[in-house]
Amino acid sequence: MTNQSTTTTTDDVVRVEDLKVNFYTQLGVVRALNGVSFNIPRGKVLGIVGESGCGKSITGMSIMQLVASAGKTEGGKILFNESAGGNQVNILDYERNSPEMRKIRGNNISMIFQEPMSSLNPCYTISDQIEEAIRLHQTNDNVESRKRAIDVLTKVGMPNPDRIADSFPHELSGGMRQRAMIAMALSCTPTLLIADEPTTALDVTTEASILDLMRELQSEIGTSIMFITHNMGVVAQMCDEVAVMYLGRVVERATVDDIFYEPRHPYTIALLQSIPRLGRTKGRLASIEGSVPDPYSRVSGCPFHPRCPVAIKGVCDTILPEETIVDAAKGHTVRCHLYS
Amino acid sequence: MTTDDMLLEVRGLKKHFPIRSGFLRRVTGTVKAVDGIDFHIKKGETLGLVGESGCGKSTAGRALLRLHEPTAGEIIFNDPTLGKVDVAKLDRTTMLKLRPNMQIIFQDPFTSLNPRLTVGQIVGEPLEIQHRASGSELIDRVAELLNEVGIRPENMSRYPHAFSGGQRQRIGIARALALNPKLIVCDEPVSALDVSIQAQVLNLLGELQAKYGLAYLFVGHDLSVIEHISDRVAVMYVGYIVEMAKTDKLYFTPKHPYTEALLNAIPKADPRMRTRPIRLQGEVPSPANPPSGCYFHPRCRYAKDICKQERPPLQDIGDEHFVACHFAKELSLVGVQPLNDIKLEMPVKKS
Repeated sequence: MTNQSTTTTTDDVVRVEDLKVNFYTQLGVVRALNGVSFNIPRGKVLGIVGESGCGKSITGMSIMQLVASAGKTEGGKILFNESAGGNQVNILDYERNSPEMRKIRGNNISMIFQEPMSSLNPCYTISDQIEEAIRLHQTNDNVESRKRAIDVLTKVGMPNPDRIADSFPHELSGGMRQRAMIAMALSCTPTLLIADEPTTALDVTTEASILDLMRELQSEIGTSIMFITHNMGVVAQMCDEVAVMYLGRVVERATVDDIFYEPRHPYTIALLQSIPRLGRTKGRLASIEGSVPDPYSRVSGCPFHPRCPVAIKGVCDTILPEETIVDAAKGHTVRCHLYS
Repeated sequence: MTTDDMLLEVRGLKKHFPIRSGFLRRVTGTVKAVDGIDFHIKKGETLGLVGESGCGKSTAGRALLRLHEPTAGEIIFNDPTLGKVDVAKLDRTTMLKLRPNMQIIFQDPFTSLNPRLTVGQIVGEPLEIQHRASGSELIDRVAELLNEVGIRPENMSRYPHAFSGGQRQRIGIARALALNPKLIVCDEPVSALDVSIQAQVLNLLGELQAKYGLAYLFVGHDLSVIEHISDRVAVMYVGYIVEMAKTDKLYFTPKHPYTEALLNAIPKADPRMRTRPIRLQGEVPSPANPPSGCYFHPRCRYAKDICKQERPPLQDIGDEHFVACHFAKELSLVGVQPLNDIKLEMPVKKS
């Protein structure tokens, strides 16, 4: 592939190169990721946006090596760099359950899941669950780990951290559970935090306070965040850079300002047109025709061409567009024939 | 405004759920999910009902159709044939006559369609129950309805599992439309859908409203969607309506501190308009054990002593703007700012 944005010399926490993941099911092969490439600059928030089935969650899971066993990683690299100028490792070189991977998972890279109810263990108290990670990675001392758990709960703005530490997940509200999840993810001060739709299940006022909290912690600890979401509003409020995904590929990559003010890919533009804008849109919304294709099928050429209003006949339906740089200074790249 | 414009008038609607516990299942408390709300909907109008989870907005919508039996209150519906009737007091047979005019679209398109019926049976069922059509006439009518919502009629004999979320929601809409209703309660119809599909369904609802003069009670939690679709908006908090006004009024000049906090929390789709949220103290109180006075006072930045003691009534402050706050006239609150008008155009191939 020419024109790779990932060949720049910036300090990246993670560089994903041409990642391919296939799921072998009884109904056929689902090509979840068809060559995903992106990088997360150190200390930045990268937003991964796309509709359901575009592979955004699988990308996050792949970095953690948590993809279900039916999913096979069949190519690509995930290069992780713990500290600036440090040793770069390819996560995919490690077995899922190898000691090396277990040392990274939850310690250097941690994850916040979408459903705070189903991702906390109902049989253990909040403090037990936070301390598990601390004792595994940081210290053997029970008193010390308890102290750190309380500290991290205080940090995420939990009222009465002492009491909350000894309560069970069902005793907490949705927002509090998500705070507990964030506390758990931050307990070992990870280099990279993967947040997979952390606010989707929450109410708007709770969502706003969780986003505010994440932003605050990010500037305090300096953790890099990979923020997976489908909500363009959350992207605008939260991210520094954005990768837009469609059918297992990154179709556009730019700074958050460029994505909203100078989007290039027809899919990004259509996505932005289809959300109601406060105080602006009246009447019809521009919607994208059709729906995301069946995951078992393969689309020839550009994956978006069947729904694209400006597709070029004979080109877009046969040839897969390469990633093209449209603005080198800002690292704006797009996969579309209109710019090649 | 003549009173004939009025399609629905709700007065003092309450829905309480008993809490039972112990061996004898004695009633030990009540959840006051909806505790006395008043509103009206005019013909062909959309009233948006917003609030956070547990505020009673869905319960209110369902109580209107008596899917939940209301505990108290009047639901005056202006039926074209029966005239003005109180839905809350109707017997079964009269209710059956009224049902064609009040329909509902449910939130979850995956659980609201019977998996063992074909799409044709699902959409045709209301027609059969009401003896509107049978035989080939029924099939024609179902085909027409499916066409209307953008589902190919050839798919009539397929089962719901063969359709995507957006298509299922369209089937749910076709079912609601089958009997030419006057009012449709839309209970979060787009919150389970992807953004591109959400826009299609919102457009469809808009088209159908223009074509058939439908009135919607649109229950939702996404404030951007509510702003887009509603003529007027009512905000609920723990079983009460705290503010109700025309959409622009409510969004640009809110008068209730809760509305202000809610509007401030909307994640605005514009990276140049980043906002710090108003941090609300504590959590939404439980409707089984609400605080004294104004239910919002423990979290309100402007609360004074009177707020702890007296619950403010919903009062008209002019131009159909209703607020339940002791200081509605004194506070100057911040509404939303319209987002920057970004011109988005599809690219053209440079030759």
